[in-house]
Amino acid sequence: MYRFRDIKVFDKMVKSNSILVGLSLLLLVWFVAYASDWFGWSIWLQQTDWYAQLLVSGWIDYLPLLIIVIPLIGSFVELYCAKASPRFRDQAVIYTGFITLVVVLFSYPLILDNDVSFELANVFDLGLSFRIDTLGYIVLLLSAYLWFYVMVYAHVYMQREKHSTRFFFFLGLTYATVIGAIVAGDLLTMFVFFEVMTVSSYMLVIHGQNEESYQAGYKYLVMGLIGGFLIFAAIVLMYFNVGDLGFDSAIVQLAELGATRYWIIGLIVLGFGVKAGMAPLHVWLPKAHPVAPSPASALLSGVMIKIGAFGIIRAVTSYYFPTKDMMVGGDDPIWFTASTIGAILIWVGIVTMTIGVFLALLQANMKKMLAYHSISQMGYIIVGIGVAMYLGYKGALGYGGAVYHIVNHALFKSLLFMVAGVVYYHTHEQNMYKLGGLWKKLPVTTVVFLIAALGISGVPLFNGYVSKTMLHHAIVEAHEYGSSIFLYAEWIFLLVSAGTVCSFVKMFYYVFIRKTDNAYPDATFDFSSFDVALWAIAILIVWIGWNPNFLLDALVIPQLNRMAYSSDFIDHYVVGINVFAGEDLLVTLGILGFGGVMFVIGDKLHLFHKTLPKWLSIEYWFFLPAFLVMRGVCRRMYGKRFRIDDKEYEQLNEISNDRLGFIERFIITSNVVNRRYEQSLIRKDALIYSVLLMVLLLWMMMDQLIL
Amino acid sequence: MIVEHLPILNLILFMSMALVIPLLRRQPFKITLILGFIVLGLVSVSSIYLLYHVNQFDAIHYTLGGHDTRFGIELLVDPFSALFTTIIVLLASIIYVYSSGDRTEGIEPNEYGRYYVLLFVLLMSLFGVLYTNDLFNTYVFIEILSITTCALISIKRKREAYSSAFRYVMMNELGSLSYLFGVALLYMATGITNISLIGQALQTAYETYPFNVVIALTFMMIGLGIKAAIFPFHVWLPDAHSSAPSTSSSLLSAIVIKVYVLVLIKILFRVFNVEILLDLNMRTVLLVVAGIGMIMGSVFAIAQQDVKRMLGYSSVAQIGYILLGIGLLSWEGLRASFFHILSHGLMKTALFLSAGEIIYYKRTRRVNDFDGIGFIMPVAMSVFSIAALGMIGLPFTSGFISKLYLGTALLDGRQVVFLGVLIVSSLLNVMYYLPIIILAFLKNEKYQYRLTSIERAPSTMIGPLVLLGLLIVLLGVMPQPIMQLIDAAVHTLIP
Repeated sequence: MYRFRDIKVFDKMVKSNSILVGLSLLLLVWFVAYASDWFGWSIWLQQTDWYAQLLVSGWIDYLPLLIIVIPLIGSFVELYCAKASPRFRDQAVIYTGFITLVVVLFSYPLILDNDVSFELANVFDLGLSFRIDTLGYIVLLLSAYLWFYVMVYAHVYMQREKHSTRFFFFLGLTYATVIGAIVAGDLLTMFVFFEVMTVSSYMLVIHGQNEESYQAGYKYLVMGLIGGFLIFAAIVLMYFNVGDLGFDSAIVQLAELGATRYWIIGLIVLGFGVKAGMAPLHVWLPKAHPVAPSPASALLSGVMIKIGAFGIIRAVTSYYFPTKDMMVGGDDPIWFTASTIGAILIWVGIVTMTIGVFLALLQANMKKMLAYHSISQMGYIIVGIGVAMYLGYKGALGYGGAVYHIVNHALFKSLLFMVAGVVYYHTHEQNMYKLGGLWKKLPVTTVVFLIAALGISGVPLFNGYVSKTMLHHAIVEAHEYGSSIFLYAEWIFLLVSAGTVCSFVKMFYYVFIRKTDNAYPDATFDFSSFDVALWAIAILIVWIGWNPNFLLDALVIPQLNRMAYSSDFIDHYVVGINVFAGEDLLVTLGILGFGGVMFVIGDKLHLFHKTLPKWLSIEYWFFLPAFLVMRGVCRRMYGKRFRIDDKEYEQLNEISNDRLGFIERFIITSNVVNRRYEQSLIRKDALIYSVLLMVLLLWMMMDQLIL
Repeated sequence: MIVEHLPILNLILFMSMALVIPLLRRQPFKITLILGFIVLGLVSVSSIYLLYHVNQFDAIHYTLGGHDTRFGIELLVDPFSALFTTIIVLLASIIYVYSSGDRTEGIEPNEYGRYYVLLFVLLMSLFGVLYTNDLFNTYVFIEILSITTCALISIKRKREAYSSAFRYVMMNELGSLSYLFGVALLYMATGITNISLIGQALQTAYETYPFNVVIALTFMMIGLGIKAAIFPFHVWLPDAHSSAPSTSSSLLSAIVIKVYVLVLIKILFRVFNVEILLDLNMRTVLLVVAGIGMIMGSVFAIAQQDVKRMLGYSSVAQIGYILLGIGLLSWEGLRASFFHILSHGLMKTALFLSAGEIIYYKRTRRVNDFDGIGFIMPVAMSVFSIAALGMIGLPFTSGFISKLYLGTALLDGRQVVFLGVLIVSSLLNVMYYLPIIILAFLKNEKYQYRLTSIERAPSTMIGPLVLLGLLIVLLGVMPQPIMQLIDAAVHTLIP
């Protein structure tokens, strides 16, 4: 431990990490320079022989595979380095993240030129295929940046946790699968990586290895696998009915299918929706995200739930939209399926964001509150996807808003989780009502938190404002061009935004501003990789806030132009969109003011400390019928010869969900049924045999006997 | 040509091996093992060669004693029987290698010889059942199979072993006799027992004696259903499989019950044909029985505390999957169920053998005692996990591929409801396999520090496990080569 003047430095790798992070930001400058063609760079590059040869060589086809393989190899290298020393291990981890980032960044010219695609025929019988287009590239670039910064951050955070080698190994594995899901070129490939991601990220969720994390992890895993099975069903239906799983337009074949096409889209949306935290399926999220270590929750909330949203966008807008070549207008009936589902999705998104923000206001645990906000922000994204589908030909703004919000939410939410992690690291406390006055102890962290909070609240000049304004425009268009019922959706949308503001005012006040007696001996003014990672993301947030049009021009609009959306519409509404128009600023001011008022009222009346009754939870209503059925079955099965086993029966009468879970009840019931069935069979083997024989005979001869 | 004599030579090799074992005086265990390796190796080579031969050239008809097929016994080696005999002998070799390592846990030393005699008689009867092209001869081999199985179950000289063996005998005799009754009725209607000839004669017989044919079908189905542990008749299976030594459990669960299913397939598709079956509404019967089995087998498995009983119930559910493919009575369905026979064979063998290794060292069969096993027996538990994830149907395992085939086959047969059943059943599999994996790898880490030497098992036990794990993954990633063989086998049943 050494000092630069008054600042304590306990992190020995802070210098190299700062250099790497600085380098990553420089690379971003290069990226901007290339994308906006400063000094004629991009044209110069495209004219070089070297570049032309690269394009013809065929090597670039292996690019998707390369990007998947780097983190995969990195995680094994990490495992090997860990034997030498933890420091080597962390270096291996960070360099893996950096190399991946560099490869992803430098592939931008290739991807802008043409989709990079690659196929592995015959694997899994149907073959795997990979493709990077601009939509995939946006998410890919985002994940690469975030993952690298989180790895830098995790280097310090994991020093106090056990089993950090295991954590880093599964972090690398998850990274590879996340990239695999992003660069997938068909639904099967995406599903394969998605499933492996569920399993490997499970290890991140239960890292704490206490009872709470096991329960949360079990819920996470089982719900994730259920989502996987739903996608699997969609794959089978799609493969059978369309014959091709590639992400290309299939609407012509699908339109002939009748109700099956709604099944396919419904299964896809539900399956990915589980991961995305969509309204009735979000129950795992507020449990799993808080129990994971902060780097993992930053990535879970920042990247992995985005893969769910990305999956919905990817599958739905490719299968259910016509291609650009088909030149269909807005009135074509081909949009009808997408439009119907889009209308439902808008409302699902509205419900999701409302539930999320409402429950977030009632939380005391910082990370739990952030997790509920993730649900709420995913609601925004789902609304965007819904508008993109509902308006069909004119849905470009919704699509752009959803994609942009994916990027923005990933940045500020992972930053918020990382800040919560820093606070926990220094104070060992997650309950915000017990914290307070931290701005003196952690001034740098406070500033970073403020930036992230302004981002999520949608304050102008911070990134959240841009995408929220776009989504707001999109929903206004939904009721202008579509049904007027979406006017109410707009109101709820604004209300939820105000709730978000209120929630972060509350968090800022309770954690950083409020005066308390706590001394926090652990919290000293220090400098470590924490600050480096936090600042890097904060810079990105502010940068996007100041240059809202760069990402749109560089990444989103090229993607929109490849889709079947009306190009007049894109030129008119999306290209050169001015988010700083007077009207939008006024609305934002209203939201901010209302949010502030909400906080003052809520704080005075102690509304934030209320807890909701049990019967309001979704799980209660989901499991109640199952519980009643099980109890009924058991009561029937206990007969004269099978005396009531009081213990079991009493257990089943237990109403509380916490004391007796679904699985335990299921086991008891199954035991009772099994005992009853098998014991009676011993006595009546012959009877059962002859009865079944007769039934089968009668069944087969039914036709002859009746005739 | 020597090729034509290979099938009967296989049977003779197994039989003579079984006869030689009791004659050994000095070091019986060692010599038995060596001889057994040689026999299994020879049979494997000849089976693979036969598989190659019948796929490349033509099926082999071999008549015993040169009698006419109308009266004599005919062995038929076609892509179907050649494929499954090869799979059986390869799986059996893996299990055999493992059994030499764990010295067939729980058997008294002076019983080793008896165990291997039974094993080779069992293999002989399995081959016989598959090769023979004669209904009555099938019955004979089935009887040999039942009796050897019964002896294998009760070999442990324990009270519960005897009681479950008794239960097995009662149920299975009922099954055998039902089957025999069915054969007799068919013989009455057609006057022959050769499967190919009956197949040709049955269309007219069905028109003249419809009741005979229908009753025969019913009895044969119920009989084989009991033997294959199809759902309502599964009661004997969990007890029998859990009281036998692990190696015999895996033989019984992975191979023996599948062979009965294969006989059922032969009868359904060769003796009868798809038109008659459709006329008799067999599709609905088979699908409903399969669907109920898939759900109920898993439901019962969830409640089990004994790991081997749990695996037994899981077999009941998996037989449901196979039956579901058969019940579609279509090319795709049969293909899916053949693949699942193979993939379930691999997965269940892996599960029973890895659980067997844990039972062997830890002396416990309760699932709850598996906490932290992953730290002391990493290989066994990893293979267990791979196989269990395969049962759930995660990608990169063969279970995923079989679910994919089964799903598309179901849609092809317009049975969308059963796609839902398939998914619910997978979910139930999640509910009982996942907790074990979590328990073994994440809880009770004190083992990690207490034990210095991990996985002390001999390489003869570890090797087969690793091989099985690799095969499951390999089959899950590259199913193509096997699928070609399976397609050829399906061709012989549904032209």
